[in-house]
Amino acid sequence: MIEIVILGRGGQGGVTLAKLIAMTYFLQGQDAQAFGVYAAERSGAPLRAFVRADNQEILCRNQITEPDHLVVLDRTLVTDHIASGLKPGGWIVLNSPDPPSVFAGEFPGYRIATIDANSIAIACGLGTRTTPIVNTTILGATARVLGETFEAVRAALEELKFVGPNLESARRAYETVSVAETPAGTCSARSSSRSVVTTMSILDPDAGIPPQTQTGSWARQKPMQRSFTSPCNQGCPAGNDVRGFLAAIKEKQFDLALEILHRTTPLPGVCGRVCPAPCMDACHRNELDEPVNIRELERYVADHASPAAAAAMNRNHAVAVIGSGPAGLAAAYHLGRLGYGVTIFEAGSELGGVMRTGIPEYRLPRPVLDREIEHVLEHGVTAQTRCKVGKTELLKFSQRFAAVFVATGLQEARALNLGIQDSTHIMQGIAFLDEALTGHMSLKGERIIVLGGGNTAVDASRTAIRLGASEACIVYRRTRAEMPAIKEEVDEALEEGVLLKELLGPVALNRNGNGSGWTLECQRMRLGEPDQSGRRSPVAIEGEAGRLGLPCDRVILALGQLGDLSLFPEGSEVREGETLIGLTGAPIFAGGDLASNEGTVAAAIGSGRKAAWHIHRTLSGEDLFPKETAPVVSAATIRLTAFQRASQARGSILEPAGRIRSFNEVRVGLSESADHEVAVLESQRCFTCGACTGCDICRANCPEGVLTRRGTDYAFDYDYCKGCGLCAFECPRGVILMEQL
Amino acid sequence: MRKFCTGNHAAGYVLAAAGEANRNARGCVAGGYPITPQTEIMEFLRGFRFTKGRVQAVESEHSAMAMCIGGSISGARTFTASSSNGLMYMAENVFMAGYCRLPVVLAAVNRTIGPPWNIWVDQGDTLALRDTAWLHFYCESHQEVADTILLAFRVAEDSRILLPAIVAFDGFIISHTSAPVDLPEQADVDRYLPPCHVPHRLDHDRPQMLGAMVTPEDTAAHRLELHEAMERVPAVLEQARDEFREVFGRQPDGAISGYRLEDAETVLVASNSIASTVRGVVDKRRRDGERVGMLKIKLFRPFPRHLIRQALKGAKRVGVIDRNVSLGSGGIFWLEICGALFNTPDLILQDYLTGLGGGDVTPEAVENILEDLLARRKSGEPCWKVKAYERMF
Repeated sequence: MIEIVILGRGGQGGVTLAKLIAMTYFLQGQDAQAFGVYAAERSGAPLRAFVRADNQEILCRNQITEPDHLVVLDRTLVTDHIASGLKPGGWIVLNSPDPPSVFAGEFPGYRIATIDANSIAIACGLGTRTTPIVNTTILGATARVLGETFEAVRAALEELKFVGPNLESARRAYETVSVAETPAGTCSARSSSRSVVTTMSILDPDAGIPPQTQTGSWARQKPMQRSFTSPCNQGCPAGNDVRGFLAAIKEKQFDLALEILHRTTPLPGVCGRVCPAPCMDACHRNELDEPVNIRELERYVADHASPAAAAAMNRNHAVAVIGSGPAGLAAAYHLGRLGYGVTIFEAGSELGGVMRTGIPEYRLPRPVLDREIEHVLEHGVTAQTRCKVGKTELLKFSQRFAAVFVATGLQEARALNLGIQDSTHIMQGIAFLDEALTGHMSLKGERIIVLGGGNTAVDASRTAIRLGASEACIVYRRTRAEMPAIKEEVDEALEEGVLLKELLGPVALNRNGNGSGWTLECQRMRLGEPDQSGRRSPVAIEGEAGRLGLPCDRVILALGQLGDLSLFPEGSEVREGETLIGLTGAPIFAGGDLASNEGTVAAAIGSGRKAAWHIHRTLSGEDLFPKETAPVVSAATIRLTAFQRASQARGSILEPAGRIRSFNEVRVGLSESADHEVAVLESQRCFTCGACTGCDICRANCPEGVLTRRGTDYAFDYDYCKGCGLCAFECPRGVILMEQL
Repeated sequence: MRKFCTGNHAAGYVLAAAGEANRNARGCVAGGYPITPQTEIMEFLRGFRFTKGRVQAVESEHSAMAMCIGGSISGARTFTASSSNGLMYMAENVFMAGYCRLPVVLAAVNRTIGPPWNIWVDQGDTLALRDTAWLHFYCESHQEVADTILLAFRVAEDSRILLPAIVAFDGFIISHTSAPVDLPEQADVDRYLPPCHVPHRLDHDRPQMLGAMVTPEDTAAHRLELHEAMERVPAVLEQARDEFREVFGRQPDGAISGYRLEDAETVLVASNSIASTVRGVVDKRRRDGERVGMLKIKLFRPFPRHLIRQALKGAKRVGVIDRNVSLGSGGIFWLEICGALFNTPDLILQDYLTGLGGGDVTPEAVENILEDLLARRKSGEPCWKVKAYERMF
C-alpha cells in the first residue's frame, strides 16, 4: 500500500489533488482512497489531505500518520516537523521556485522534488494571481517522481473533466520538476508522536481566550480604515463641507452648522433657495430612496442659526473687487476673513449683482440677501456703489491696490433680430426683471411671449404673471427635457399658469394689420442630432406646415448673456485662476460667470473663494489650496440595508392661485419648531458617506472580535484577523477597505 | 458501473435511481435542507432530472420530513438526507413517518450533535431516533451505502413491513472520502424495485383522516401492530438480499456479519467504518495466532437479538465499540447487546466508548481496546477510551 499526505491551504485544491492522485491508481485497477481533514474550510486555512492506494482492499479509514510520501502545496507551510512520520527515503514534493538542494539540510534522508507551481498555474490561468490553484500542476510533478506515466495523469484529469489549462499545467510540471536525493545523513528517526490532547471543562470560563492559533497568518487581505470624500462635498461647486454641516444638524448644533457653512460660503441663505443642488443629485441616498434635502437644510440653518462674530485681523494689503455678485462677494468675504482690507466696486445702485437684479423676490426675498451681504461687509469689507470700472479705472486700481479681482458677470444679453427695433415690444429679460423691481411696471391684460429656456426665461414669465399679464408663454425651440432651467422652477411656473410651447423658433415680430396687437411668426422645429452641448439640436420643418403665428403684445428675450470684456486691455485672455499677463502693477484675477459662465451662484462662490486663495498666495506665500483630496466614496461600498427607508422632508410651497398675486416668497421651507425636529430628522437621513461615525457595526459583525475603537479610530488585531472582509462589507458608509496582501 | 467517487455522491446517485424507478407509478418526492456533511446528497438530487418527481428545497429539516410525509401519503416514493442537529430538528416528523407507517428512506450521514459545535462523525444523531419505528441500517463502506439504500427501499415499501428506513454512514470518513463503488444501472434498479404502493395513501375518492386522536387501548394496539411489522423485517430483509443477488450479482451484508468469527474466543463488535479498521486488526492478530474475530452489526432496528446471541455463542470475551454514548448509562450498541446477551454469566462483555465527536479511531486504538479486553477478569462499567487517540489537528 502506498500512503501520501498532502499539506496545503484552503483554496489551493489540496483535496481535489488527493482525488486526482487516487484516481490515477483507481484507473489502473487498484483500490484507492482520497479524503481531506475538514475543519476550518476556508481560503488560507492550513489543511491536510490523504491518499491511499493498494492492490488489495484497503481497510484503513483513519488519517495517515506515517506516509510514504509528502506533498506540500504552500511554501509557508514548510516547518521543521512537517516530515515527522514520513518514512525514510520518501519523496517530498514542494511547491517552490527554489531548486531541491535548498531544502537538503532541512530534510536529510529524503528525496526532494521542487516545482514552481504558482508560476505555472498563473501562466495557465488557474485561480487568480494572488490565489493560484496549484493542484493540477502538483499532480504532474508528483506523478512524475512516483513513476507514473503522463497518460495515467491525463486519464485521471479527464475522468474528473479537467481539460485544457489543467492538463497543460500538469504537463509542464511533469516535464520540468526538479529532483534531488539528499544524503542519508542523520535522518533523525522522527516518530509520529503528536501532542497530547489537552481539553477544557464545560464550566471553565476562561478556556480558549485568546486562541492559541494566530490565524492572522491565513489572511490574504487585510482591512484598513480610511476616510473618503463624500459625493455631496465633491459635487458642491462652492466647496462646502456638506457632510460636515449635516453632521452638526444631526447633533442639533445649528450654530456650528452655520459656522461650517461660513467657512466656505457667505451666502447659505441664497443658495438654500436658488441652488440647483448638484449635491442632491450626487447624494448616495438616491440609491435607497430620495436624496437628503440638503438645499432646504442649508436654508434652514441660514434662517435659524446665529453667525459667529467676525474675527478682526489686519494685514497690510488692500484688495479691490470689481462686481458685487456672488463671486465678488465671496472673494471679498474670504479675503476679509484673511485680514485683507477689501473694497468692492459695484456699477449698480445696490450690492448683490444678478442675485438682486436677475432673481425675482418671490425666489429670493430681499431681506435675506441684504442680511447676508451685511455679514460679508462685517469682515472688514467696504463697498462703493454706482462705480462703473472701465479700462482706465482698472489700470489705476492695479497701481493703487495689492491685487484686483474682476467679477463683473455677464452684462451683455444676446440679441435677436426679429425685424423690428421697437424696444417697448421687445425687451431683454434681465432688463425686464430689473424694471419689474421698481414696482412701477404693469403688464395688465398683455399677452407676453418669453423666448428662451433658462432660468431667466422662467423668471421673466412668472414675473409677467405677477405683473398682471393675461397670458405668459415660454416659446422654446427644443423640448422641456432640454431646457436648462431648474426643473422645480419650471414646475412652479406651469402651476402658476405659464404656458410652454415647445419646438418653435422665433422668426419675426409683425404688427397686426388691424392694429390689435402683434404676431410672432414662428418656425416649427423637430429634434435632430445632438450638438456640442449634448442636447439634440432643433431642425426646422420646411414648408407651409412649418410656420405658425402666435398673437402677443410683447416679446421678452432670455436667450443667454455674454461677458463684457471691454475693461480689460486689448488682447487679454480671461482664464480663471490665472492673472492677466502683460500688465505692470498688481496681479489682476478674473472669476465668476465672466471667466467661466457656469451660471450658478454656487459656482461663483467657489470661483471667488479660489480667487481669494490665489491672491493670498501671491501676497503672502501661504498656500491654502487643499493638498490632496481623498477619493470620493463609491456608492457600491455603501451598505444600503443598514438604513431604513424614510421619505424626504420637503419644504412647503404656497398655493399657485394665491402666490401669483404678489412677489412674496413662494417656497416656505421646512416646518419649523422650537426643537427643529423636522430638520434634525432630515439630516439623520444622511449616510455620512466615507467618514466613520463610530457606529460599531464593523465591530459587531467581526466574527473574530479583532476590532477595538477609540472615538472614530478603529484598530485591527492583525494577529487574528483572517481577512474575511465582513467589516468592509457591513460598514454602512464604506469606510473600511480590504487591501490584498 | 464502477466509479471513484465520494459516499455522498454514491448515496445521491442511488436515491435518485430509486426515485426514477417509480416513474411509471406515482413518481417520487423529496424535501431537502442542507447540513454538513450531507449537503452534497441534496445538491445531487436537486440537479437530477426526474421523469416524474420533485426534489423541493424547503426552509428546515422539519419541513423536509413533512414534505416526505406529504409525498408518501400521496403514494410517491419518498426520500431525503440529513445529519446531527438537522435530524433533531426533524425529529417530531420522524416519529410521524414511523407511526403512520410511511416508507420514507432517509440517508443519514452521522455527525455529532452540538453544542459544542462539531462537524465530525458520531453515531448519536441517528441513535437518538431509535425509538421512532424506523428501520436502522449502519453501513461500513461506500459500496454498502449504495447497496443498502436499495435494500432499504425494498424492505420499507414491502407490504408486510411499511415502515420508514434510515441508512446511516459516517460523516467525512465515508461521505467526503473518494473510493471505488459499483453504482447500479437504472435498468437494474427498475428490475429490482417494484413500484411503490402505499395502501393507506390518501385518495380523493376515499376521503379519510390519517393520524387522528385515539384512546389508550387503540394506541397500545397500534404500537403492537408496529412491533409485529418490525418482527417481520429479518425475513423480508433476507428475501431482499436474495433478490439483490439475482439482479446485481453480489449480495450485500445482512443484519449482522461475522468476520473470522467461527472459532473466535475474543470478539470485537463494531459498526459503521470502524468495522473496516477492526477487520484489519483482526487479520493482524490472527497472523499472530490469536483467535480474534469481529461481529459487525448492520441492522440496528429491529435489533437482531437472536442472531447476535447465535453469533456470539462461542465467545468468551466480547468488546463492544461504541462511537456514541447515552449519558447516564453507556454506549447504545452495548446496551442493546446487554439486552440480547442477558443471562450469559460466564461472558465478559465490555463497552468501549471511543471516537466520540469524531476522533480518529486508528488500528492502534483498536489494539489498545483489544489489550484491555484480553486483560480483563470480569466485565466492568463502560470504558471511556477518549484519551486513547491523539490530537486530530
